[in-house]
This record gives sequence, structure tokens and C-alpha cells, in this order.
Amino acid sequence: MEFVPAGFVLLQQLEPRIMDWGWVRENFAEDVLPALVGHVYLSGVSLAIALAISLPTGVLVARYRKAYPPVVFLAGLLFTIPSLALFAILVTVPGIGIGPNAVIIALVAYSILVLVRNTVAGLDSVPPETIDAARGMGLTARQILFKVELPLALPVIVAGVRIATVTVIGIATIGAYIAGGGLGQLIFDGIDRLFPTMIITGAALATALAVAADVGLLLLERRLRPWARRAGGQG
Amino acid sequence: MIEFRGVTKTYPGSERPAVDDLSFEVPEGEICVLVGPSGCGKTTTMRMINRLIEPTEGEILIGGEPNTRISATELRRKIGYAIQQIGLFPHRTIAENVGTVPSLLEWDKERIRRRVDEMLELVGLNPDDFRNRYPAELSGGQQQRVGVARALAADPPIMLMDEPFGAVDPITRERLQDEFLKIQQDIRKTIVFVTHDIDEAIKLGDRIAILKQGGTLAQYDSPENILTNPASEFVASFVGTDRVLKRLSLTRLEEIELGPPQGNGGLPRLPEQASLKDALSEMIGSGAERVLVISGEGRVRGSLSLDELRRLSGRAG
Amino acid sequence: MTPEGIVRVFLRPQFPELLLTHVELSALAVGIAVLIALPVALAVRSSPLGTAVAINVGNVGRAVPSLALLALALPFLGFGFAPSLVALTALAIPPILINATTGLREVSDEVVDAARGMGLSESQILRDIQLPIAAPVIFAGVRTSAVQVVASATLATFIGGGGLGNLIVEGFQRGDEAILLAGALSVAALAVATEVLFGALERALTPKGLRLTRRKRTK
Repeated sequence: MEFVPAGFVLLQQLEPRIMDWGWVRENFAEDVLPALVGHVYLSGVSLAIALAISLPTGVLVARYRKAYPPVVFLAGLLFTIPSLALFAILVTVPGIGIGPNAVIIALVAYSILVLVRNTVAGLDSVPPETIDAARGMGLTARQILFKVELPLALPVIVAGVRIATVTVIGIATIGAYIAGGGLGQLIFDGIDRLFPTMIITGAALATALAVAADVGLLLLERRLRPWARRAGGQG
Repeated sequence: MIEFRGVTKTYPGSERPAVDDLSFEVPEGEICVLVGPSGCGKTTTMRMINRLIEPTEGEILIGGEPNTRISATELRRKIGYAIQQIGLFPHRTIAENVGTVPSLLEWDKERIRRRVDEMLELVGLNPDDFRNRYPAELSGGQQQRVGVARALAADPPIMLMDEPFGAVDPITRERLQDEFLKIQQDIRKTIVFVTHDIDEAIKLGDRIAILKQGGTLAQYDSPENILTNPASEFVASFVGTDRVLKRLSLTRLEEIELGPPQGNGGLPRLPEQASLKDALSEMIGSGAERVLVISGEGRVRGSLSLDELRRLSGRAG
Repeated sequence: MTPEGIVRVFLRPQFPELLLTHVELSALAVGIAVLIALPVALAVRSSPLGTAVAINVGNVGRAVPSLALLALALPFLGFGFAPSLVALTALAIPPILINATTGLREVSDEVVDAARGMGLSESQILRDIQLPIAAPVIFAGVRTSAVQVVASATLATFIGGGGLGNLIVEGFQRGDEAILLAGALSVAALAVATEVLFGALERALTPKGLRLTRRKRTK
């Protein structure tokens, strides 16, 4: 542990105040806001790509069940690899290197497991008799998918998006270590400079962003399930 | 055997009692059915016997002693308990489920094993097939049987049953009821049985306690008397406008004094186990004024006329 | 960078020490988290309000980014093993708390009522009925928590907590891909091993009757 220079005492000497609001005010436009915007951008782009991959994959493996176990196994393996390790591996791949691209690739990889799994679970949750009724009324397979199955699966899919979003926002902070930008930049700079204000600002904003996304998507999830709400009210 | 003395239960936060000043006695070896519309407090009444619910006022005596004399857990181990949702322990085998109370009472293993097999046989499940299975592997009807076997396992003198046949299809229910009555003829337990189904109450009960909203006792009597002399408008409407027919269904042809075998082969014939209701139905269906009653060996035992039947049911009007 | 280069890193005398620190940090964090979360879950099990609070606290806790938690330990607790352990423990609690609370809540009321009606005491109901039925769900929480903590312990290096993350940081700082990959691969292997081990334990801990119930439900 060669690079462990200091302890609490040293820190207190360097920075008597834990939170320096003056710094936040002065550097808000220059450091804080860009980090926040960068974080939202990294997370948003990653989720959009992950959804574009996972939704069709989920629909496909829900149909061709043999493909489901290997897909989930691979995605699960990726999901298990610690993010710093995955970043480290990705930056050694020629053509990727350090920067936001490596971060986005990793974040997409992490999202796929949850998104595919929940898409399949959502489609599975549609009662067979509902599909049968739709078929009996003359809907085509395509119409059944878009008008019956996906709308009914939507709450479960959104639940997956919620988990993926929280995961992505959290892991994106670590991306700053390989020059991905975002709120992690404030945290790492704060650690380097032993400047608590930056650490706390970065950590607090990242936490607030994750919790806000979690709560927001949870509310959306509930709104998408009016039938569950009614049943819950009676029981 | 079980005596309610001025028992009242008011739930916290509720203004009206769920059970109001209940006093009645369940004699030893009889089936007492608590019946009434939902919200009449029948389940609350039953659950106060084994102190899953404690009364607000009054006391319940079991064998002359207040049921608070011993600890609640000790009391419950002496009282069989079977509920509609069965509540089998999903992580335990059928044998372990049935052996629950005997194990609590620290019977030795061999005795528990024998008792479990005996109980499974009693409820019509082959021990070799079922002993080592898990609840998830059984059908609803089979689970109900295990539930009853489990309640009987420690040979408790008293059984509490809350709609134990409620969750199965009508045909299975009918069969379970018949088997239950047959078992009861041998074991003669004191049974408090809760149901919302008046037909089940009439079929199973030696006595029926009809409760009405607010937890008061509307009538406590034999099925016969409740059908013949309903104590109030409420009881009359609860047992239904077909109570004459219900009463006729309580009596079998072999139980009444038959007329001489009149007429000839042209009359409809009924086995002696058939009920008076069956006889009436046969007469209406065939247009005959009289039916012949046949014994098990095929001999003509006697006959029953429509006039006689009318006389028998007359009191019920 | 060559495979031999990576192997050479594994053969360094410090490597076992880093691995041990990593495992130590993770195991202690999960162990302490179990000791905190399980009693809380038991305490709130019969209170709907307590259960709701525990689950919501767990959900919010789970949303907190791991780097944020570790970094926040620095200004308040300083550098080193102990601050890392505190942060990782805080990280380990939410999944266990959520699963233990929901697992205990999901033991059906009828089963508990039947047990009580047959004369099991409250402690027997907890020990013989509720805990065994909830055990697989509780343990699934411990597994989630363990895998997450092993991954996050990699970040302990940033606040001087040690562990295999040290190799990754060293690899970056010296621009040495062999060290970088040695760190990444060993951390990945440790995480996958944790997942596999706990998965096997979870299956072993699931009573046979419950496995049947679950299979029936998924049909």
C-alpha cells in the first residue's frame, strides 16, 4: 500500500472545514454543472443504446427459449465483473482506449442483463388467455406484440429500466477514473487534492441523481399499472 | 365440555363488538357448527377457544376449567386446529407436517411415525405414497386431508375447524364431508366447526349456532329444530325458503315408520337410505302418489304415500 | 504485454497479501452487514410500518453509488482499511435488509396462523417456520450483497484500503498493461467465484419442499 500518504489528522490540517460552500458557488458553472451534465449524458446515452439492444433481444429470446439461458448466462457473467476491472480490460482493447467510449461500452454491457431479463419476465407475465383472446379476435402476431404483449409487459420492463438506471448512474462515477468525465471527476479530484468539498459535492450529486431516478421511475412504474393499484386497494 | 359465559370481543379501535355477550355450551363428543353471514363473528368466536384471540369480557370453560388456566401454547397443543387455507408448512414433508404437535409434545420417534401413518390412513391417504412428499406435490383435496390429519395427530379431545373444506370443488367437498362424518362416528371428538354454508351446517352439525351481524346468537339448536321452528325472521331467511325440503333431506326412509307395501310393481322404488326429500322428488317426477321402499337385499320394506309425507313435513310449515 | 507478464504479477510476493486484504475487507463487510440487517429485519417483522420503512431505507441505500460511499468515508474517517470497511459495510446492508424483510413478510399468514393454532410458541414459529421458509430469500440477499461488495472493494484502493484494486491503479499509473490486466482479471475471477460459491450455498440452503413450490410457480 505504497500510496497511502495520510490519515484523518493530516486531512483536518489541510482542510479545517469539511464543506466549503464558497468553492461550490465559485466553481458551479465551471466544474460542478458540467460534471452533472456529463454524468446525465453518459448515463442517458448508455441506457438508450442498452434499450435498443435489449428490447429486441428480449422479445427474441422470449420466443426462442433455447437462446434464453446462454444469453442470460453471458450477460450475468458480464454483470458480475467489477466495473473497475471491466474498465481496465476495455482500455487495453485497441481502438477503445481511455475516455467516454470505454465507459459507455461498459455501462451498456452492465444494463443488458437486467433489461433482457425483465423484458422476458414482462412478456411471460402476460396471461396466455389474453393472447388467445387477441388471436381469436383476429389480431396478427405483430399487432398482438405491439398492442397487447408489450403494453402489458411495460411495467415489468420499466422496473428493469429503473434498476439499470440506478446501476448505470452509480458505475458512471467510476468511469471518471478512465477519463469518462461526469460527477466521478469531482470525487477523484477531491481525493487527489484532499479537498473534502469536491468529494462531498460529487458524491452527494451522484447519490441525489441515482435516488431521484429511482423514485421517478418507481412512480412511472406504478402509473403504468393502474390495474395493480386497484387490486392492491381492495386487498 | 366447552362453555361460553358472557363472552364479548371488541377489537381495539372498533366501537361495536365483533362478538356480543355470547353464552352457550357445546356438549362432549358433538359437532357444533357456527354459521352466519360474513362479519357475524363466527371465526372470532372459534379463535377465542384456543386463545388465538383473547375475549374482552367473559370466559370460556373447557371441561369446567377456564381456558386461561394453562398457557396459550400448552392449551393449543391439546386442541386440534384446521383452517380453510390449510397452512401446511411448505418446507416440511407430509409426515413432518402431521407429526408437528406430537413432536412438540415430545413423543418418541417411533410413536410419532406410527401415529402419522395411522392418521394418513384415517383420512384416506396411503402412507407409503404420501409420507415423504411435500405439500407442493399434493392436490388441494389431498392437502385438506393432510390438514385434518395434522389437526387430529395428537388425539386432542377438541377440534376447531374453520371452513376446512372451503377451498375444494363441490364434489370433493361433498366426499370430504361424508368421510369426516364417518371418522367422527369413531373418534367422537368435541368439534367446533365454522362455515358460512347453511347446507354444510345442517349436514354436519349435531347443533347449530346461528350468529348474526354484531356477533349475537340468533339461535342455538339442533338442525331439526332450527328448520322446524326458526326463532326469528333472520333465522328463517338465513336457512332459506326451502327449509321444508332441507328438513326432509335430514330424514332417511329407514328412520320412519313405513306404511304397508301397497299396490304393485307399477310404483317407483327407492332404497331405504334415500331421504324423504328424494321420495318427494320421485313422486313429483313420476306423478305417483306413493313409493316403495326397498331394503339392501332388494326386499320391499314398505311404502310411503304423499299424504304421509305431507303429514311428516307439516310441522315444518 | 504478454501472458507471462501477467503471470509474473501473480507470482509477486505482494499478490497473496492484496488478495487476502480484498477477501478480508469483503468478508468482514458482509459479515457485519448480516449482523446488523438481520436483527433489524427480525425486529420489524410484525410491524407493517417498520417493514415499509426498512424496505424504503434499503431501496434508497441501494441507489447510493459505491464510489460515493467510499469517497465519503474519506473526509469523515480518513484513509485506510477501517474507513473502507465502514463504507463497504454500509454498502452491504441494503440488499440483505430488503431481502430479509420481504422474505420474512412473505411467509404466508395462514402458515403462521396454523403454527400458532397448533401451539408453537412465538420463538418456535420464528425458528422452525419463518426462518427456514425465508432462508433462501434472505440468502439471495447475502449473495447479491457479497458479489457487490467484492466488486466495490476494488475501489477501496482510492481511499487506501488496499486489496486487488491496488494492482489496477498501479497498472494505470505506470502505464503497464500486464499489471493492469493482472489486477482486472484477478478481481473478475474473485467476483465470479463469489457468485458461483454463494449460488451453490443458496441452492443447498433451500429446503426441498420450497424448491418444489418454486418450480410449480414458474411453470
